Amino acid sequence: MLIFRPVEMRDLDDLVTMAGSAGKGLTTLPASAELLAARINEARDSFEQRNAPEAGLFLFALEDTEANRCVGISGIQARVGLDEVFYNYRLSLSVNASRELGIHVRTPTLHLTNDMTDTTEIGSLLLDRGWRGGGNGLLLSRSRFLFLACFRRCFSGKVFAEMRGVSDGRGRSPLWDALGSKFFDMDFAEADYRSVAGNRSFIAELMPKYPIYLPMLPEAARAVVGRVHQQTEPALKMLQSEGFNFNGLVDIFDGGPVVEAFVHNIRTVRDTVKKDVLISRKPMVEEPRGSPVMICNASFRDFRVTRIPANWLRYDVVRLPPEVAQALLVESGDQVRLAPLKEGAVLPTDNNEAGHY
Amino acid sequence: MWLVRPVGPEDLNDVLALAESREVHVSSTLPASQDLLVARLALARNSFLNADRSGSHRFLFALEDTDTGRLKGVAGIDARAGNGQPFYNYRRDALIHASHELGVSRRVDVLYPSHALTDLSQLCSFVIATGLADGDAIELLSRARVLFIADHRESFTSELIAELPGAQSADGAVPFWDSLGRHFFDMDFATADHYSATHSKTFIAELMPHNPIYVSLLSEAAREAVGQCHRLSGPTCDLLKREGLAATDYVDIFDGGPVLKAHTNRLRTLVTSHCVELHGEESNQGDLCLIAGGQGENFRCTLAPVSTSLQGAARVRPGVWQTLGLSPGDPVRIAAL
Repeated sequence: MLIFRPVEMRDLDDLVTMAGSAGKGLTTLPASAELLAARINEARDSFEQRNAPEAGLFLFALEDTEANRCVGISGIQARVGLDEVFYNYRLSLSVNASRELGIHVRTPTLHLTNDMTDTTEIGSLLLDRGWRGGGNGLLLSRSRFLFLACFRRCFSGKVFAEMRGVSDGRGRSPLWDALGSKFFDMDFAEADYRSVAGNRSFIAELMPKYPIYLPMLPEAARAVVGRVHQQTEPALKMLQSEGFNFNGLVDIFDGGPVVEAFVHNIRTVRDTVKKDVLISRKPMVEEPRGSPVMICNASFRDFRVTRIPANWLRYDVVRLPPEVAQALLVESGDQVRLAPLKEGAVLPTDNNEAGHY
Repeated sequence: MWLVRPVGPEDLNDVLALAESREVHVSSTLPASQDLLVARLALARNSFLNADRSGSHRFLFALEDTDTGRLKGVAGIDARAGNGQPFYNYRRDALIHASHELGVSRRVDVLYPSHALTDLSQLCSFVIATGLADGDAIELLSRARVLFIADHRESFTSELIAELPGAQSADGAVPFWDSLGRHFFDMDFATADHYSATHSKTFIAELMPHNPIYVSLLSEAAREAVGQCHRLSGPTCDLLKREGLAATDYVDIFDGGPVLKAHTNRLRTLVTSHCVELHGEESNQGDLCLIAGGQGENFRCTLAPVSTSLQGAARVRPGVWQTLGLSPGDPVRIAAL
């Protein structure tokens, strides 16, 4: 069984291994045991409410209970830009026109902004290669939205994700080569690493502050502004199907797009329903049927998500075998939230579809 | 004999021929178009007639070979750069991007749009016939303007600028323009230059980028062109530098050519010139000097051997007075060549 739960220090070794094999460009999860341990501590402080909720970093582990190991991670940063400055470029348009000469020129322009300050960011998603496919990635990503749905007051009304931008096999970014490298005496990977390592003040000190006129950059650089890395396209599609859209901001280093959605418009949040748990004393004899459904408990500190077959749902309750209830830390009568794992799927709403009990 | 005198409408054909023959573009201040030149020459005539009153005068001088009566060069002074409109430049400035944390420091060159030079007096519109680029004639044409300024000092500002044509490759491309202006004006350099001469500066205000430009984002050729003058403008540049004009942080917005600047009262020709009384002498003695006299429309300047006396008299051949349109006893201003 795959369980989505708050990260713990015992996950550190698995995470270091995963991050090390992930390659460059995963900007919010450093492949360093020291940095990862610091992140885990921060996340523990957040779940145990030793941090102010708005300063919270919520990292979740996907645990395979049979393999007894952590096979994935994803995260939510409650607010960005609180104790550091959070930068993006806004891809905007300048139009210069001369009526007298009949000239109308459109110049795409990058403006340095801090527009995402105070907004909730989702990121840090990484799934072990051996567990990819079968909807595991969806579970790892979408479970976060159940957490958002349960504890909305801890987060901003808008949520965003920075998507990885285009770089080649050696980690070279065309935008960095044409722009960032002219101002930073370092290569893309190093700048990226330093940025992730939490020391971002160098960005403010070295970045160009005036707008950048895109036509002055080479074609290769212009072409990647607002484009995602090929490997990130599935993640982008997934977020788009949740209702996320490009908001006009791009990463200052590699030009990757920022996508955002209002929490109340996120599909998983919108489709979520509440039901009471009924722990089945008898063995569940029916074959699992229907599209898988995510189910979560209501605990902030001990949040749990897993997936169950649709035919476990009833009109007002959800029947769970004892081992699933135990994994979710729920008992009969507890309220749980449910949402379809896959887009286009709907939760069964009546007895006819779900069968009798 | 070489004579520098005011240009008037009757010089149209000669000026047009010079403007068309030039190898270097002259930043649009001397358009090679008959209609525009007619207006420009009329303006010059009017400026000379009113030279004693300050205003946006645009003086234009001709270098004439008195033996043939042909014009061999033209040079101008705009009393107020921009002539009542904004005068555009980029000012090259530097920012230090330094990170204490990383221990790095980098100088970042930036071009800021500027109107700071608007309304300063400007030496401009310099063009001289091929073959005269080194010699006495070019020096006469360039420095005669300073003698005019000396004699009409109240018409000019306390600082004086000169724009030099910027770098151009052998095939005629202007690298600074191609890397910067072209993206915003959506036209080639020649067209922009033409519009600059024929239209009000409104189109520049409308089309030019408003934000500062990072030099490091320009092409390599454009970066090299910032503040560099055209290879054929070397002699003109040298003359201006000897006159005391020095490079500034300002460059032309179209071609990146340099803007030179000086305090008007410290121009070498102005400082070293003397006001003396003109007298006749039959021999060709003395040092070759620039000798200028006459006010406004009657201004003339030529090169002649002059022997000076301690009493403030300059003795020249009678032919020189006639060329200058003066008589013995008239005041003149002389400067050593």
